[in-house]
Amino acid sequence: MPEAPDVVELREKLARAAQLLFFRHHMQPGAKAWELRRALGRDYEQILKLLDAELEKLGLTVKRVSEGEEPSESDRYFITLRGHPKLSDARTFGWRVDDMAMLTVALAHILSRGGKAPLKEVERILQEKFPRWRVEATIDRFIRRGYLSEDDQGLLYLGWRAMAEVDQRALLGLLLGKEKAEEAEAEGEEPEKEPDSGTT
Amino acid sequence: MKERQELLQRIVELCDSVRKSGLDPFDVEVREFFDRLRELLPKLKTNEELYLDVQAVLGLADVIFQQGEWIKHKSSLLYLDPLLITLKLYALQPRDLAEVLVRAWHPIIDLESLSLPAIREGLDYWRNLPGLDERFKELEVAEVMTGEIARRELAKMGILSDEDLTALLDRTWRELKEAVGKKEFISYWKFIQGKSFEETVFRAWLVSFLVSYGYATLDIDPLEEEINLRPLPKPQVLENVATFSVPIAISREEWLKRRKKLA
Repeated sequence: MPEAPDVVELREKLARAAQLLFFRHHMQPGAKAWELRRALGRDYEQILKLLDAELEKLGLTVKRVSEGEEPSESDRYFITLRGHPKLSDARTFGWRVDDMAMLTVALAHILSRGGKAPLKEVERILQEKFPRWRVEATIDRFIRRGYLSEDDQGLLYLGWRAMAEVDQRALLGLLLGKEKAEEAEAEGEEPEKEPDSGTT
Repeated sequence: MKERQELLQRIVELCDSVRKSGLDPFDVEVREFFDRLRELLPKLKTNEELYLDVQAVLGLADVIFQQGEWIKHKSSLLYLDPLLITLKLYALQPRDLAEVLVRAWHPIIDLESLSLPAIREGLDYWRNLPGLDERFKELEVAEVMTGEIARRELAKMGILSDEDLTALLDRTWRELKEAVGKKEFISYWKFIQGKSFEETVFRAWLVSFLVSYGYATLDIDPLEEEINLRPLPKPQVLENVATFSVPIAISREEWLKRRKKLA
């Protein structure tokens, strides 16, 4: 028995929404609210809810990221992992342990300072543990990839990608709850084995 | 007048530092500063003073805005003691820090794809691209045997200087020290002033090297629009000092005006 026309239309919209969110159309991935409204119609949020339910089966989710405090038409939707990867998985994405550590330091410091911090200050903290040339190159890369953004006064902010990918509350909570590896070891908890830092 | 300007300048700089270096905006006594500005206002005479007053008011208004943001942040669920966070950041090993990120991380999934316009653009590029033979066609040039040229000739052509740059800088440095004499500094404009415009520009160029290489320093007073040159007893690289570039424009009109003034 053929499917009812409204079911067919719904399926097409679902497929269109998936294409819009999975395939990169602009410099940034995902799609803006107004683009989705134009492509899927006024009820685009319902379609996205359906898509989210489908993606849940695959461990993915649809995430809305607002630029301001109020929702607006320029908010962007992305598809992200529903859970978080393992440290060993993240390394296969091309991330070095040191790079991830540097991003944690930069993000946590910016968040603890109310959402912005001078670049020099972030560099100074990072240089306590990493060589200067690595720090400068890595911060540049974070800015290029959208994890951080810098204004003309040399202040660092969270970039669009950090807003979309990083659970800020969880990051700070985990950081405060995190014990040093040696302490955890002393308490009998065996830390996860990690090969050397490797290269990207 | 200078005291008034200094006070205004201090307020502007303080407000700037709140915005730029993330100082606690509640450290600024906004009310007290506004009271001082109110007292000062009837005494302000020049446009420059009034401009500084406007900047100070705008700066204080920005501090109030920052105070609002600060309260919002402190009352949000994200607020945690910055000192506690900093201590943790220093204490944890890179691997622990990486673990923290990973557990709060939900990477975006996306695929790069070719769009129809991009394919069309690629096809057009391919069609219009000349063959390798054409692209690497050798340029037709006449072969010339190598020869010799005198240093003086090169200097005439402007390729080489008559004098070695180091010696030239050394001479200018000594000249600067003599010009300063017992005083500690000399006006930048007075020192670079030459007989012709070209000579003035050349001396300004030499001074830029003296400052960059640590033979002298520039003291700039933006309010008085004064630039002074201070020779150092021996060349030194200033460490732990913020360095910045100072563009100084020299036009022929400006040079003529200053020449008349100095004459």
